[in-house]
Amino acid sequence: MISVPVVWLAGVFGLPLACVLLSRTRMDSGRLRVVAIVIALLLTIITTLPFFWASLRGFHLHAPAFVPGSGAILRLDELSLVLPTLAAGMWLFTIVATPRIVLGADGLRFTAQSTVFTLAAFLTEHPLVLTVAWAGSAIALRASLMTTRSKKRHAAGKYLGVSTVLFALGAILITRRTPHGSAVELTALGFLVAGAMIRKGIFPAHAWVPALFEHGRLGPAILFSSPQVGTYAIAVLVVPRAPAELLRVVAILSLLTGVYAAAQAIVQRSARRACGYLFVSQSALVMAGLDCTSHEALTGALVLWLSSSISFAGLGRCLLVLEARRGELDLGRHHGAYERKPLLAGTFLVLGLCCSGFPGTLGFVGEELLLGGAVAAFPWLGFLIVASSALTGIAVLRMYFALFAGRSREVPMALRATEAAGFVAIVAVVILGGLIPSPLVRSRESAAARLFAERMTSAGQASHESIPTRKDGD
Amino acid sequence: MNAPQRIVQIFLLIALVSPAALIVALTIGSIPRRPLSERAVARMTSTSVVTLIASLALSLAAYITTGLEPQTWTAREWLTRSGGALQLDLLVDGWSLTFALVAAVISGTVSVFSYRYLHLEKGFVRYFILYACFVLGVQLVALAGSIEVLFAGWELLGLSSSLLIAFFHERRSPVTNAMRVFSIYRVSDAAMLVAAVLIHHRVGSGSLSTLFRAGKLAAIDDTGSMQLTAIAFFILLAAAGKSALVPFSGWLPRAMEGPTPSSAVYYGALSVHAGCYLLWRAGPIIQGSVIAQALVIMTGLATAVLAALAARVQTNVKSALSYATLTQVGIIVVEIALGFRTLAFIHLIGNACVRLVQFLTAPNVLLDLHGFEGAGARGRARWPRLYAFALQDGGLDVILDTLVVRPFFAIVRAGQRLDERLSGERPVDGPVGRETRP
Repeated sequence: MISVPVVWLAGVFGLPLACVLLSRTRMDSGRLRVVAIVIALLLTIITTLPFFWASLRGFHLHAPAFVPGSGAILRLDELSLVLPTLAAGMWLFTIVATPRIVLGADGLRFTAQSTVFTLAAFLTEHPLVLTVAWAGSAIALRASLMTTRSKKRHAAGKYLGVSTVLFALGAILITRRTPHGSAVELTALGFLVAGAMIRKGIFPAHAWVPALFEHGRLGPAILFSSPQVGTYAIAVLVVPRAPAELLRVVAILSLLTGVYAAAQAIVQRSARRACGYLFVSQSALVMAGLDCTSHEALTGALVLWLSSSISFAGLGRCLLVLEARRGELDLGRHHGAYERKPLLAGTFLVLGLCCSGFPGTLGFVGEELLLGGAVAAFPWLGFLIVASSALTGIAVLRMYFALFAGRSREVPMALRATEAAGFVAIVAVVILGGLIPSPLVRSRESAAARLFAERMTSAGQASHESIPTRKDGD
Repeated sequence: MNAPQRIVQIFLLIALVSPAALIVALTIGSIPRRPLSERAVARMTSTSVVTLIASLALSLAAYITTGLEPQTWTAREWLTRSGGALQLDLLVDGWSLTFALVAAVISGTVSVFSYRYLHLEKGFVRYFILYACFVLGVQLVALAGSIEVLFAGWELLGLSSSLLIAFFHERRSPVTNAMRVFSIYRVSDAAMLVAAVLIHHRVGSGSLSTLFRAGKLAAIDDTGSMQLTAIAFFILLAAAGKSALVPFSGWLPRAMEGPTPSSAVYYGALSVHAGCYLLWRAGPIIQGSVIAQALVIMTGLATAVLAALAARVQTNVKSALSYATLTQVGIIVVEIALGFRTLAFIHLIGNACVRLVQFLTAPNVLLDLHGFEGAGARGRARWPRLYAFALQDGGLDVILDTLVVRPFFAIVRAGQRLDERLSGERPVDGPVGRETRP
């Protein structure tokens, strides 16, 4: 008899793969879009089943003995419980809220492929499987860049390539069964951290992310960035094993990146580039929280991960909707979009404020927890989170005024019903999460506790291995 | 919990839910393609405001007549976590209820004025959504019993204020000024957040009644005096940003771009006094540190003197009134620092009411006088340098621009050029030129 988790997994991976196959048929693009929406909706529902079905929680499938490395190939635990729903929800929102003119059969195929790789990443903790998912999403993004005419795409491709190679090297080394704290493990951790820092755009490897947003295809860039697979990789592979000193360095770099990127977002002329910097800032704060070696900061980072993914995905889609109707968005002038799209204006404002930690939104919950934990770990540097939040708020309101204030000479289309529904839903998630945060916070607390327990276990193994024998001591 | 306490709490809950419900109702009502009519908006707002005023009046009456003690009521345990829950606390005492009631009456007066002032204005519904946000924000600030509630109200005040300054967003100047004001508000919000974290870490609680009681402060050890000063400094910084105290006074005339009713309620009556109210509440902390006291007194005096000078040279009535308000705000701040709490509170309420009336009647007065707004030319011939100093608001904007804004932009733009080189792009000068398709 087939077990429930296997059936569930078949549904989780089968549905987006079915969409990939359908996109290669000659189905009419309008009908394909409707089918894709239904598939994405089904996937979202399926991924919520573990919340209600105990037998789906905590399952794990380990690799056969001949596969090097530890870690389950497939696992659904406290950390990853909400992540498949996040990935599926983003896919659904992408299809619903992206204008039809932008999302044809090729676009739908890319979104489905990207979702498969994201789900694969979130459901594993085996380094090699994670590497395959990592590489797959990077290759898919690179392929989407090839369809643009810009010569500036090469830089993004190079950074992606380097990030993937470094991560793969780290993953291969970490699968070797070496003592905790050995040179091999430290080298592996270094490669993993370097690869993740490049992917997430942490200083000094941050510049390619805004360039990707400005010169690449915005939709794929958002779908690639917002789930923050790099965050997950750090959480499962690095946090349980890394020495506190390495985590401290990464946290400090991340905090500085958070402030720097938020400041950069204020001065950009290109709306896409400003959006890219906002993502770098939010992503860096999440990374800082993961590396703070404080339970409260880790919980805050896990909550902020979700809030920043959701709000950033929504912000990016708002830009995409405006661009599809108005063309290039220069923040040096006023576009007057409020006149025809007040709902979009309100959505942009709420999601942007969520990024800056406005009370009543999910972003405030994450930042409140992160701030308390970060200040405990780094008494002065922790306040950089406050600076980042303040600068993000200024950048968001500047973008809001540039895009929605002023007079509009054109008479562009208002929002379609599906677009409006998508935006209302995402705003509702962000606000409800901010007003009733306890269930989510408790869930992230238990995930943080699990990561800490793994850290203690690793530390315990290390101290056991380092206990001197009578021969050594005499 | 006894019956009088229960009665007060129920009325307070109604008072807070009322503006929140108005925000939700107006927002939902504005989503369909056919927006709400002015009459519907006016009725909904009136209902909400009347409910608010009535519930606060009944709370205050119940509080006074039953002889209740000041208390902190946990409206809701908002965030349960292992390190201790974050609670939505409301401070129930005569001061908070009085301030909340006065604020509600002022807000209600402005709403009635607004129905007529903004008749047939394109952004009628938008105005009242922001107005409802303001009402909720000021009630949260007035009744805050925990730092989280205070921060929420503080942020709502700042956001709604900025969006109302940019109400006439078809023109460039209101938007530019709104951005400037919001930037200063963000500094103020950041200062409050820092103060909140320092308080949490030092005292282990976000409850304001716990913090501001002298007995709790006495438990702070010797090393606490510098921390106390730091907390007081950041609270002063937060209040200075919101209340346009020195060195942030330059934003006040910029804020006059918004509709007259919003100028009246924000910069005449309530929002500009929110900083004073925060300082008033934080009085025990300020008086626990000599350095903090001195800082507050100097800030208040400087603000009063500068505003008094600036008020005399303004060429439009709203700016003149705003500086007149600020003069009194500076004096109120000094009274708080010197420990004259009752005097400061009465002064605050009185100033808010008087300025509200002045702002709302100013257009009519000008009409009745058949006149133009008189230029403050009396001092110009005798003391030209003083006149120029007052006209430039003491040069505070120039100082902030020179010391903070320009260096900030210079550093960030240098970083931008570096980033473009790191990402293999040429430095971009002028308008954006994008080569790719969406």
